[in-house]
Amino acid sequence: MKEGFRQAMAWLHTWAGLIFGWLLFAIFLTGTMSYFKPEITRWSQPEIPLRTLDTATSLARAQDYLQRHAADASSWFIELPDERTPGIGVGWRGGDGPRGFTRKTLDAQTGEEIHARASRGGEFFYRFHFELQMPYPWGRWLATFAALMMLVGLVTGIITHKKLFKEFFTFRPGKGQRSWLDGHNAIGVLVLPFHLMISYSSLVIFMYMVMPASILASYGGDQNAFFNDVFSPRQDIQASGEKVPLPAFPQLYAKVLEQAPQARVIWVDVQRPGDRTAQVLFLPDGHERIAVRRGVGWRYDAADGSLAWTERPEHVPGIIGGGFYGLHMATFAGPLLRWLYFFFGLAGTAVIGTGLVMWLGKRQLKHAKSGTQPFELRLVEVLNIASMSGLLLAVVGFFWANRLLPVALDGRAGWEINVFFGVWLTALVHALLRPGRRAWGEQLALAALLWASVPLLNALTTDQGLQHALPAGDWAMAGFDLTALGCGLFLAWVAGKMLRAPVSAPRRGARPAKAAAPNTEAQAR
Amino acid sequence: MNSKAVGLPLSYRLAVVSRCLAALLGGYLLAAMASVCLGLLLPLPRVEAVLTGMMSAFLFYLAAFIWAFAARSATRAWLGILLPGLALAAINGVTYWMNHS
Amino acid sequence: MLAVALFAFAGSAALCLAMDKHFSELLGRKPGPHQLRGLRSAGWLLWALALAVAMNQRGWAVGLAEFFGVLMAGLCLWVFCLPYRPRWLLGLALAGLVLAPFSALGLI
Repeated sequence: MKEGFRQAMAWLHTWAGLIFGWLLFAIFLTGTMSYFKPEITRWSQPEIPLRTLDTATSLARAQDYLQRHAADASSWFIELPDERTPGIGVGWRGGDGPRGFTRKTLDAQTGEEIHARASRGGEFFYRFHFELQMPYPWGRWLATFAALMMLVGLVTGIITHKKLFKEFFTFRPGKGQRSWLDGHNAIGVLVLPFHLMISYSSLVIFMYMVMPASILASYGGDQNAFFNDVFSPRQDIQASGEKVPLPAFPQLYAKVLEQAPQARVIWVDVQRPGDRTAQVLFLPDGHERIAVRRGVGWRYDAADGSLAWTERPEHVPGIIGGGFYGLHMATFAGPLLRWLYFFFGLAGTAVIGTGLVMWLGKRQLKHAKSGTQPFELRLVEVLNIASMSGLLLAVVGFFWANRLLPVALDGRAGWEINVFFGVWLTALVHALLRPGRRAWGEQLALAALLWASVPLLNALTTDQGLQHALPAGDWAMAGFDLTALGCGLFLAWVAGKMLRAPVSAPRRGARPAKAAAPNTEAQAR
Repeated sequence: MNSKAVGLPLSYRLAVVSRCLAALLGGYLLAAMASVCLGLLLPLPRVEAVLTGMMSAFLFYLAAFIWAFAARSATRAWLGILLPGLALAAINGVTYWMNHS
Repeated sequence: MLAVALFAFAGSAALCLAMDKHFSELLGRKPGPHQLRGLRSAGWLLWALALAVAMNQRGWAVGLAEFFGVLMAGLCLWVFCLPYRPRWLLGLALAGLVLAPFSALGLI
């Protein structure tokens, strides 16, 4: 019976992995990119200059701008610049922006509004990875279900992997399919805590939407009461109508530092500015704890002039839920840990990619002698190529569009996205028309060229290329260019392996993702 | 379970579909009933019980998936998911009725 | 973070060597049962030390996350470089073991 159980789990692992692998690869790749969302956005809007960071100055500039342009708004917000986001973000309720909010970016030194090119930047990939560019709420449902399938894949993989402990440290390159399996198992097992955490936390993040039954049962369907209990939002005090000028934010910030010298404030929320009942909330960057909390910070109350930390009672399930959120989003992570997250995200992407490649490779071996490929396998092959190398092309296409589309083009943010999907579709068509290994090689070679040329493209189309960014210490900009170059070099290496003619036809080890590198060269059997 | 035959019999295919449905639909119902049960019965403040129930629900969904394909037959797959689900539903119903009468 | 990484990496190396197959391959001789047991204990101990340092430096929650992060990264480095440069890895683990206490005390 034990034998039957393992076999059944292997079957489930293989089929769940195949059917959801293509989607999960895209989710993991774009999600991994999202750990550098601010940097990607920064690269996408090179017009925003990097200035010396000074919180007090930024606050003063922001307050000045808001006072001049949004004095009558019912609420303001300020996003303070940091190493990853060079501009000051200001916004207010009102105006013609989306969802009733207007948002502007200011120069951190002069406080002048910056008209950067319209681009969704990192926000596009971030949204894509859980909304899949599908209308609300279908994309989220699908992405959440995919997360469940990832969890199923992980658990069935663990059950199926007989020698999980014996082969814990085992990786044997240069042995064809064996190496692929070793690599798939290794990145799966060694990074398992991350994979399990990422998958389960994605379910928890959307649990309100996908698993609302207990809210309905325990709260009688009163969702508002439930969310009030969970988030304990502040009471909405009415504006008194009495005008009282706000104190200078730098002064308030100095008082915050008196109370908490180590504080790092990244966000300021202002309710009813200019009114007697105004409230200014200084929010910390969240690096001091894992569990994410909303609306907890240093609050200044204009009514009594007090400035104090707003502690809120916490309970264990709330902390666990917030912990899942924080672990998934890596809000607590400093630069080194964030790079580790990025690396592990790529590992997860590679687990999926190697699995898809092996699924096909194993079955292609069986048909190698007959020389023809059944339709189902050809379908999988095309989908593998399009969803992996095709996606890599689409992503870099987005960035090329960002630099090449005219800055003044109407709706250019939408056009960047159109290019993304257009390139992806073209890659699919290319995969349909070309034989498998050649399609891989050609797409990966083109991707390598486009990725590696990003720094050159940047230098030629803007004044923010490496020659400027490196001396200026603009690590968001330079880091993006250098990472793109690195990706290009890696893809070039992979493409080289694909384009070299195989020694004998049966050995197909098509290589999509940034995984450990078993030798994909065909070996004579 | 692990047939590599080219022409799979219809009964096999139907069994696979059945197991998939048991996992997908039955599993969801089981998970939902488990979350409701935890939300109603855990000796915690209401919001904490509901949060715990929701976070734990996915473990039940996962277990249902495993069971649906590990069970010796499609029928056993359905029974192994529906019976606990119905039991939980009954407990939930009684608890709800007791709370509201 | 460096101390955590060095202790964790040394521990991973020890746990790998604690397996008969890897011991023989890497050190070129048959291990005695005491040696394997000793290495296994040392490995777990080093991992525990890494965890303790991490929690001490960053608090229990962030420390735990950091520990797992550097542990997984070190394991990947070990496993994927092992077929190519086993000597370098052994040297790195040994050097890390020596430097780790100094790093933990803030001297490096």
